[in-house]
Amino acid sequence: MLGEEKLKQIAQKALSFSNAYQTEVLLSVSGNALTRFANNQIHQNVAWKNLGISARVIIDKKIGVASTNAFDNESLKDVMSRATELANLQEPDPGFVSLPKPQNIVKVADDIHHATEEEMAAGAHTVIKKAQKENLIASGAYANDVSEFAVANSLGVWAHHAGSSCNLSTIVLGKDSSGFAADVARTPSEVDAELVAETAVQKTLESKNPQDIEPGEYEVILEPQAVSEMMAFFQWYGPNARIYHEGASPLSGKMGTQVFGKNITIIDDPFHKDVFPMPFDFEGQPKKAITFIKNGVLENIAYDSYHALKYHQKNTGHALPAPNTMGPIPLHMYIAAGDKTRGEMIKNVKRGLLVTRLWYVRVLNPKMLNVTGMTRDATFLIEKGKIIRPVKNLRFNQSIPEALNNVVGIENKLTPLASFEGEMISLAPTLHISKWEFSSATLF
Amino acid sequence: MLKKAENILSKIPSADYADVRIVDQSSEDVATKDGVVEALESSQSLGYNVRILKDGVWGFAASFDLSETGIDETIKKALAIVKASTAHKTSNVQLDELEPIIDSYKTPIKEDPFQVSMEEKIKILLAADTAQKVSDKIAVTQASYQANRERKYFVSSIGSKIDQDIVWTGAGTDATAVDGPELQNRSYPNSFRGQNQTRGFELVRELELEKHAPKYAQEAVELLTADTCPTGEFDIILDGNQLALQIHESCGHAVELDRVLGYEASYAGTSFLTTEKLFNFQYGSDIVNLTADATIPGGLGTFGYDDEGVPAQRTYLVKEGKFQDYITSRDTVSKLHELNPKYNKKSNGTVRASSWSRLPMIRMTNINLEPGGEAGTGKAWSLDEMIADTKYGIFMSTNRSWSIDDRRYNFQFGTEIAWEIKDGKLGRMLKNPTYQGITPQFWNSCDAICGRPEWTVWGTPNCGKGQPSQVMYTGHGASPARFKKVKVGVVKW
Repeated sequence: MLGEEKLKQIAQKALSFSNAYQTEVLLSVSGNALTRFANNQIHQNVAWKNLGISARVIIDKKIGVASTNAFDNESLKDVMSRATELANLQEPDPGFVSLPKPQNIVKVADDIHHATEEEMAAGAHTVIKKAQKENLIASGAYANDVSEFAVANSLGVWAHHAGSSCNLSTIVLGKDSSGFAADVARTPSEVDAELVAETAVQKTLESKNPQDIEPGEYEVILEPQAVSEMMAFFQWYGPNARIYHEGASPLSGKMGTQVFGKNITIIDDPFHKDVFPMPFDFEGQPKKAITFIKNGVLENIAYDSYHALKYHQKNTGHALPAPNTMGPIPLHMYIAAGDKTRGEMIKNVKRGLLVTRLWYVRVLNPKMLNVTGMTRDATFLIEKGKIIRPVKNLRFNQSIPEALNNVVGIENKLTPLASFEGEMISLAPTLHISKWEFSSATLF
Repeated sequence: MLKKAENILSKIPSADYADVRIVDQSSEDVATKDGVVEALESSQSLGYNVRILKDGVWGFAASFDLSETGIDETIKKALAIVKASTAHKTSNVQLDELEPIIDSYKTPIKEDPFQVSMEEKIKILLAADTAQKVSDKIAVTQASYQANRERKYFVSSIGSKIDQDIVWTGAGTDATAVDGPELQNRSYPNSFRGQNQTRGFELVRELELEKHAPKYAQEAVELLTADTCPTGEFDIILDGNQLALQIHESCGHAVELDRVLGYEASYAGTSFLTTEKLFNFQYGSDIVNLTADATIPGGLGTFGYDDEGVPAQRTYLVKEGKFQDYITSRDTVSKLHELNPKYNKKSNGTVRASSWSRLPMIRMTNINLEPGGEAGTGKAWSLDEMIADTKYGIFMSTNRSWSIDDRRYNFQFGTEIAWEIKDGKLGRMLKNPTYQGITPQFWNSCDAICGRPEWTVWGTPNCGKGQPSQVMYTGHGASPARFKKVKVGVVKW
């Protein structure tokens, strides 16, 4: 890591090489390591480090972006020159008003922890040992990601933050079953490898000898990992100002109206105690907690500077790196906890399925936000409030808005979950949903 | 740079095997939306990695820092990783034999995309973008262009020295029509970033985006009021651009030997094509011939050598319906020799990394359904003949959604558009078409494949795999093909 002062000098130098009307630079420094295991042995063990600068140059509402992975003077001049050249070739974007001005940003202390190769190998080995003891096969990954990120622009914006994460996940395979578990933490010592191993092994043993089950409509208990996998798509296609104003979001035109059940509140909170704090967005604008859905009513959507100025709304600090063709996206979004325990929710199921995870979820139609996908890594039949037996995996075709209108129970706690890449943490409760459409079965 | 790579290799202490890759990547992306250039970006990334096999385990480290100190640190990191992995090893990695190669490879292109003026690229895209505004129901128009260049410098401890200059280019358009709750898309010539090939700017010119895009935008408008695709078991004809993704998901990923051996179990999953099925499993009907071919001119998965220095090859994966081979690497193929003594081949050269910072792994090259009539069985149909030969069926084109289970059995695809076939004639347009199946059952129901005149190598530039995640560019040769009694209309709309 280079540190705030050094990065600030580099940013200022880069900005000094631009003569454009407005200029913004994003700087990143990263160090990553990942120890991967399969067949009860470490098979891929890698480390890499990189840095990057991306320059966004504005000349008369014409925008150009260029990037490189070097910070020497020649590279900084070159990246600025390429961005300027591109901007000069552009037609003006009538929707663009200005880069954002500096705002007060809550300072969050840098929080960096490097995991050693030995610590990561030991975490993997803990899972492997536990699986071997039960004649099971462990696979998984232990990732350590350390990153430093800064934004500066010619209007005076300066924002800097450094953080890290450790993420251990595993899928344990049995002869005809599998189990998933993961833990994510700030430091290697906080990663509970024993718990990860125990949870995944237990799921694998419990899901042995899965039986066929007819597809159809079932009640479901979605565990936090499954809820997170479902909500990832709401995150992109739901409260996104670009898609909302294009009329392509299921929420389009519904501000202030009841869109989900009254028990659903959806919040984006970059300072929640269980997530890695993110004090600013990729334009250096402050982030804060915002409620998108309150008791089922749509109250807010996410804006970046472009869409806020274009639609005369307040910037909510949800910009992604330029050039962003996806729109502003909330990165710390979760469904607020309810009042039930997991056990109570299972007891309330007449006949339904307990789903550990979803897999390969894809959007069928963004406007309806219906998705398809599979269950994975341990699915169980529940009858009269009791888990009866493991079942083979099923494909579902399900509208997310409909599901959020049919939630009949929400767990009283949120579980932190790592994203695929490990650097972000999402939070999710277990949900009890009264109707979920399974359309076909697979062979395992 | 090849000298630099040799210098790095010379610093690596004694090992069973080592290689070094320096990669210099450049890309440019232009995206327009509603008549405005929304993204105009030029990116560069230069870095290297060392891969060391010592005491039977791999160590891999990568860095942007090409200074002598940076190189020393990177090698030290790779060796520390070797040490940490050795402590818990249960078996040794073996590599198959490979002769040293000294060579260079360059993608044959007619017009270097990086030499075409940006003004011209913007002009082409804006013209195509605005040409899609055929109705006030068109809510969003988009056009995109991308070009990538990878300069790769590879040296290994067996004496190989290979430099490659790989270029690929792509472009396409997309129109979104909205009317109340209804939303429909049409893209040309394919969805998700258009067509992509290892070719130069000549590809973009040949696509004639401005000329063709309005037809597809008009179809998006017509889809708003089209009937919904019916539900039932029907014969379906898949257009080549949809079949390409079907091949990718249900064949390409299923034949990755690292998946089969469990090395991807923690993320992307495993495969139903387990090693005892080799040479005896009836994957498809006897007209189904699938190849992995990294030598096809223009294929997005075409190159000179893979990232282990193994020459590009053509391999039959499925011949006359029978499962014949996997796509392999030097270490997984050695493992396969142990598991299936009948298998005596070397790596078929499919190992690639998405950047200098990523570990090379088995990736699809060009995975193809060979044209009808060319591999001993079946005939070379034309699409018109195939439609005329279908009493009732659905013709589906251009992917909209895809999903498949983690062993590659149960899949479901949606396409942007379909047409009903009745008594051998194409009839009404249908919206929201979907179909679902189980991979071997589906491929065994294939009864007709169009011939080479309708065969295209489609590019899939967004294939994800591995931890850390790698996005790779792959190709899929396909022509329209017919499948019998497939579950259609599986989604309630």
